[in-house]
Amino acid sequence: MKASLRWILEYVELPTRDPEELGEVLSNLGVEVEGIETIETQFTGVVVAKVLDVNPHPNADKVRVATLDAGGDPIEVVCGAWNFEAGATVAYATVGAMLPGGFEVGAKEIRGVVSPGMICSEVELGLGDESDGILVLEDGYADAGTEFASTLPYPDAVFDVSITPNRPDAMSIHGIARDLGAFFDLPVTVPETSFDEDGSSNAVVRIEAPDRCTRFTAREVKDVTVAPAPLWLRLRLRDAGVRPISNVVDVSNYVMLEFGQPLHAFDLDRITDETIVVRLAEDGEKLTTLDEVERTLTADDLVIAGVDEPLGLAGIMGGGDSEVSDTTTRVLIEVAHFEPTRVLMSGKRHALRTEAVARFERGVDPELPPVASARAAMLTAMLGEGRVVGGFVDEHPRPPEPVIVDLPDHEAERLLGVEIAVDQQVGYLTRLGFGVDGTNPMRVTVPTYRPDVTRPADLVEEIARIHGYNEIPSRLVIGRGGGLNEQQRAVRAVRSIMAGAGFYEIMSFDFLGLAEIQSLRLDEDDPRLDPVRIRNPLNEEQEYLRTTLLPGLLAGLRRSTQRNRPNAALFEMGSVFLRGDASLPDQPEHLAFAATGARSESPLDAAGDYSVEDALGTVEVLLGSLGIDATIKQRSVAGLHPGRSGSVMTDGTEIGVVGELDPDVSDSWDLNGRVIVGEFDLALLAPGPPVPFVVPSPYPPVVFDLAFDLPNKAATADLLAAVEATAGGDLERIVVFDVFRGGPLAVDRKSVAVRLTMRSAERTLSDEEVAPVLSRIAERVSDELGGSLRGG
Amino acid sequence: MVSLEDLSGLQTRAEADLAEASTVDAVDAISSALLGQGSPIAEARRGLRDVDPDERRELGRAISEIAEAIEAVVDERRDVLAAIERAEHLAADRVDMTLPGRRPQRGSSHLVRQVWEEVVDIFTAIGYTVASGPEVETAYYNFDALNTPPTHPARLESDTLYVEYGDDPEGVLLRTQTSPVQARWMESHDPPVYIVSPGRVYRRDAVDATHTPVFHQMEGLAVDDNITFADLKGTLAYFIEQFFGPGARQRFLPNFFPFTEPSAEMHTSCHVCGGSGCRTCGGTGWIELLGCGVVDPFVLETAGYDPSQVSGFAFGVGIDRLAMIRYDVPELRYFFDADMRVLEQYR
Repeated sequence: MKASLRWILEYVELPTRDPEELGEVLSNLGVEVEGIETIETQFTGVVVAKVLDVNPHPNADKVRVATLDAGGDPIEVVCGAWNFEAGATVAYATVGAMLPGGFEVGAKEIRGVVSPGMICSEVELGLGDESDGILVLEDGYADAGTEFASTLPYPDAVFDVSITPNRPDAMSIHGIARDLGAFFDLPVTVPETSFDEDGSSNAVVRIEAPDRCTRFTAREVKDVTVAPAPLWLRLRLRDAGVRPISNVVDVSNYVMLEFGQPLHAFDLDRITDETIVVRLAEDGEKLTTLDEVERTLTADDLVIAGVDEPLGLAGIMGGGDSEVSDTTTRVLIEVAHFEPTRVLMSGKRHALRTEAVARFERGVDPELPPVASARAAMLTAMLGEGRVVGGFVDEHPRPPEPVIVDLPDHEAERLLGVEIAVDQQVGYLTRLGFGVDGTNPMRVTVPTYRPDVTRPADLVEEIARIHGYNEIPSRLVIGRGGGLNEQQRAVRAVRSIMAGAGFYEIMSFDFLGLAEIQSLRLDEDDPRLDPVRIRNPLNEEQEYLRTTLLPGLLAGLRRSTQRNRPNAALFEMGSVFLRGDASLPDQPEHLAFAATGARSESPLDAAGDYSVEDALGTVEVLLGSLGIDATIKQRSVAGLHPGRSGSVMTDGTEIGVVGELDPDVSDSWDLNGRVIVGEFDLALLAPGPPVPFVVPSPYPPVVFDLAFDLPNKAATADLLAAVEATAGGDLERIVVFDVFRGGPLAVDRKSVAVRLTMRSAERTLSDEEVAPVLSRIAERVSDELGGSLRGG
Repeated sequence: MVSLEDLSGLQTRAEADLAEASTVDAVDAISSALLGQGSPIAEARRGLRDVDPDERRELGRAISEIAEAIEAVVDERRDVLAAIERAEHLAADRVDMTLPGRRPQRGSSHLVRQVWEEVVDIFTAIGYTVASGPEVETAYYNFDALNTPPTHPARLESDTLYVEYGDDPEGVLLRTQTSPVQARWMESHDPPVYIVSPGRVYRRDAVDATHTPVFHQMEGLAVDDNITFADLKGTLAYFIEQFFGPGARQRFLPNFFPFTEPSAEMHTSCHVCGGSGCRTCGGTGWIELLGCGVVDPFVLETAGYDPSQVSGFAFGVGIDRLAMIRYDVPELRYFFDADMRVLEQYR
């Protein structure tokens, strides 16, 4: 909202007029100032002039010659505008005047007539948008020859303030003045509302939805002449960001800005039977609002209606049919109170965020309608030269109960941590308009313009606002818990292991489109193919919740590739969402990784491209670092390469899968090379228990190599398990050092060679001791895997 | 029988031969020819057996002297040549040290995650516990328990992403804040409460410079005897000093949140210009950083606490925003962009 300092000063005489200083005060009061605009007149040498005579130009049809009284001898100037006649008061730029944009006015000859200076339009003076015709000032605006700039309300400062949703009172100039008055402890005046009444109105108001409209007032002003509002009002609206329209409409906007009470002016002659009905709309009922949009209403919308058709959307926007026009002479001023949240919902539903909505949604003071009505009636009668009609209608089905809150004297200290004397607290509250009786507790009567205050804590905030948040001391309190738990530490460990293994962490949105999940070639009954849907997704690509982290990673690889970075290794840790039995979906946290392209950015390394061995190695490093004893079980994992995928198992439980992506899946993600992936349930990556320290043996090892002739399909893991199980406690290390096919081997056989390091903790092992172990190993491998010791 | 005269000529020959030798191997060959098996020296030594014992000692000594002298010149020459050969070898082994090295793979954790962990560490260091909760959450914990009335605009479909789960179309949603973690924690723990809850939150926002439908927040909550706004100020001042460095000033402006009363918005002096005004702070000298306040009595009551006995403070800060501010990241969307050019910048 825009708040003019000059306007504020009409209600309170502030001790300073420095905009920066006042801006700081406002922000500290919770009326946050987001910017301060300084407005100054941008011209000199312009005076008020009276048009004495207007004559045709001797040599031109489109311009005329006006004779002006500008305070001295009559002056004849040429003018192209036709919106004035003799007797008009105008703004005359003298020779040598400077107009906005650095334009200097001179004496100019137009078709043989010299024009010393010119009559100005709004636009030429930087006072408005109207360029059609000259600026015609109201009669008696000022004496001829008066410096025009001196009659304008400038310089002025306009605060751009942001009002929080709990402060309906601050959505007005008067309310802001009231807060400043409270802060500086100064009186704040109430705008004048006096007028005489003439006759009695026949207008009738019927409220059919009293829970939605708790008050409705109507007041008639007759014999009104609709015309442009005087300059001061137009400028005031313009500086507040509201477009001037006509005196009647401008008055309703002016009063709304002044009090924060929206109001509406109807053309009473266009209301059937002069009867207004406040009712819920019928489902499907149509209303064309002032913005010329035909709206289809629902039974949740409240309308201001005539006896038949709706006239406006209550609290939001009027309709075109009953609008005040140039021919209007009888104006009905409506000032009502509506239930805040329903206005808000209705406004949202129709995507209408008007000035009225911004105020009603916060909850306008229910006692304001008669005051605002009187103020508007007075100004309408004054500016429209009409007369206020008696018979003020004030339908008030639900008068508000007074709100009284008991505030213990130490409550402020208990919540704020600063001692504020009781009389000081009483002072703050009284200055803000609260009534206070007694001292402990203070019995506080809340003014009707503060519907947000209902409890002691609310009053403490009021006290704190005036006392100053920044006056509250600062004290560091130390908690009594602390540290990460085991699982939180494990998650961090996983992350640093993955980063250490050469993967970059990404964060992707938790959403996916159905096409993405379907592209993964999962089994038909895979629960990941049945993702949880978002009811109001932003778009089709973000319609479902992810059931696996792979799509995010694959999208990342694709994006990197498209950006000419084809080598990428990524990981992500985050939740996936799966259907379960509880009231919320299962939301396990996963770790997943994916990589493609060259393993090294430097071709000199000749490190080759990522392939399944890298995936396996990554898993080995991850699990090894965490101390998790796991094995790979080869199997064809849906979505992965059938011959290059497997499960990661601990104690017979699958904790994750690893492998290369199915080439068709890679294709569908526009990834050309091999793509390695792995995905784990983080909860199952809990680090193993502490393992007792092994004292290194001081004795030398016996090292020997064994090569086995094995069936092609035999899993090396099974060979290693068989060796380990047989070798006994002195086996220190076993590594696979050679694998080959062909040569001397049968077609369906392979050779796997392992190097065993045996070492005793107690003595030096001899070859003789080791020999029987070798034969036992050979026997077991033969039994379990159909293999034989080569060369043995 | 080799004569002593012959032997003494050997030294001269050795010196001449060694001068010719250009490699350590050549020196070794000369050494072997003069001193090794079948060499005149070895012959002479063998001949000693036939010499009269009286002369043997003297002759033996003379042979040894000659042998030692030869060895000395051989060693000398070998050292010289060895040094030359070593230098040549190392020179040939030279590598252009400015070529790219053979790198172990480098990776990184995400910048937002680094900030996340840093702010968590700042609070665990002063006795806070880290709490977490589900991202798909019930409307009860996300709104009702936090004093957000059923008609509050935050609940509108234009702002909140609702999830099709269960019977109530507005019952399950993607949490819009990490505050539901507070509600859950208080429900299952008695005071004192000192928790931070970092996590993902969701709003129905299309992607632009400062909005993404997913972002990260950390809430802090302290509930205990005698917790006041002053404790909130001190705690946040500590946090800012730890995160942005010493010297930062804060100001607290009244604001409004459903779950705190009194509520405040905290601004911190700009860490770039120190408060004099720059591009980062939009010339104001201040950065709007977070919302905070004294826990609303309704929230305490809903959790089963007695708001007349205990009090608390709460704050919520955008983790992505902290990262944007400190690292001068112009747009939020970069954090959700798996682009190696972005990721490599995270160290």
